[in-house]
Amino acid sequence: MKRMLTLVLTILLALPIAANAADLLVAQAANFMPAMQEIIPAFKTATGLEVQATYTSTGKLYAQITHGAPFDIFLAADERRPQKLFTDGLAEKSFVYAKGKIVFWSLKKEFGSAPWQEAVKNPALHKIAIANIETAPYGTAAMKALKKEHLWESVEPELVYAQSIAQTFQYAATGAADAGFCAYSSVFTTEGRKGTFTVVKEAPPVIQAACILKSSARKDTAQKFVKFLSGPEVKKIKNKYGYE
Amino acid sequence: MDFVPLILSAKLAVATTLLIPLVAAPTAYILAFGRFRGKSLIDAIVSLPMVLPPTVLGFGLLILMAPNGPLGGIWKDATGERMVFSFSGILLASLIYNLPFAVQPMRAAFEKLDIRLLENSAVLGLSASATFFRVVLPNSLPGLAAAAMLVFAHSLGEFGVILMVGGSIPGSTKVASIAIYEAVEAMRYQDALFMSLAIIPVSFLALLAINRLNGKRR
Repeated sequence: MKRMLTLVLTILLALPIAANAADLLVAQAANFMPAMQEIIPAFKTATGLEVQATYTSTGKLYAQITHGAPFDIFLAADERRPQKLFTDGLAEKSFVYAKGKIVFWSLKKEFGSAPWQEAVKNPALHKIAIANIETAPYGTAAMKALKKEHLWESVEPELVYAQSIAQTFQYAATGAADAGFCAYSSVFTTEGRKGTFTVVKEAPPVIQAACILKSSARKDTAQKFVKFLSGPEVKKIKNKYGYE
Repeated sequence: MDFVPLILSAKLAVATTLLIPLVAAPTAYILAFGRFRGKSLIDAIVSLPMVLPPTVLGFGLLILMAPNGPLGGIWKDATGERMVFSFSGILLASLIYNLPFAVQPMRAAFEKLDIRLLENSAVLGLSASATFFRVVLPNSLPGLAAAAMLVFAHSLGEFGVILMVGGSIPGSTKVASIAIYEAVEAMRYQDALFMSLAIIPVSFLALLAINRLNGKRR
């Protein structure tokens, strides 16, 4: 037993710990993760440069950046926060890198395939997941669609609020909620394919902006990555995941 | 500032503290005095919520408590309501999460009891339940109080599990920790600060009380 333990410990200690070899650190809003995970290897093939991304909510990344997190680029899920970083002198001018769409997604066919306005009125549908309408841009956009269709008042008691668009999808995908206002990108995941969806055309596109941070010591690399983001290769990846 | 999340957190903490002895006391009793096979297995299961990451526990509960899940299904048949995204749901999650924090101090208190007290009560003809209520309980009060304080403080600060099964519904599942998290995300740092300032002293006082109780016991 003791020898076994020594052996395991030796192996563990001998394992090389991946050094922080990244050429670029990206703070990435979580909804864009499926696309980003294809963009990073494509960028590496094109330039040989290594990108490392942290995926979490825009609000958390913003709070981390204003408190000195060592990111080079911030790819947000909204326009507001990169702009605020710019006006506060913490970042270069922001630019739009993607426009996201909202879908009404459900595990149950009868909710996901009907027009969403009909589905939310269905008495068999009790709980609908939506991202936080104040902090998550996808939640705000979904709320706008509901208000535009004069459905907000009747649907509000049925809403459950998730902290991020990823958690919104989690509520719908586990069946905890009957349906959810999700990001188009989540439809392309393994779990996403198990359900049905309709595009919520009434929701304004979620304009996702990015910026290079002033504190970055690798602005040249950052510029290269920004340029790559607007290239044809990335456009194809973005379209694949439902972004414009 | 919105006081509803703070009140809701207090409600959850009080309800958890009041209800948890029903499960924790028998479990602690069995673990302290029981002699049977599989005891260490029960011990490990009860302690599991203490070491699991809250997101893991929360995700597991979300699946169990969803309307099509085993637990949520039974609940729905019985009450006609959904277990997730309800106060009952976060209360159950809180009870599961807090179980080890109640069982461990209770068990320690039971194990410190002088075995001769129990032998005497048996010799004098007291039934098992009478022994429990008239001998075991009064003699392990400081341990029980410490368990209560620990559970109360933990319920106040609970976040990860509730984040998963709660759904942040104002007035029903949006407790203080969630409201604070949302305030930070929304860049309302002042609100976050004030709500935190309301929770920290209460939790701190609870910890001071636990320390005093533990001091007394020694």
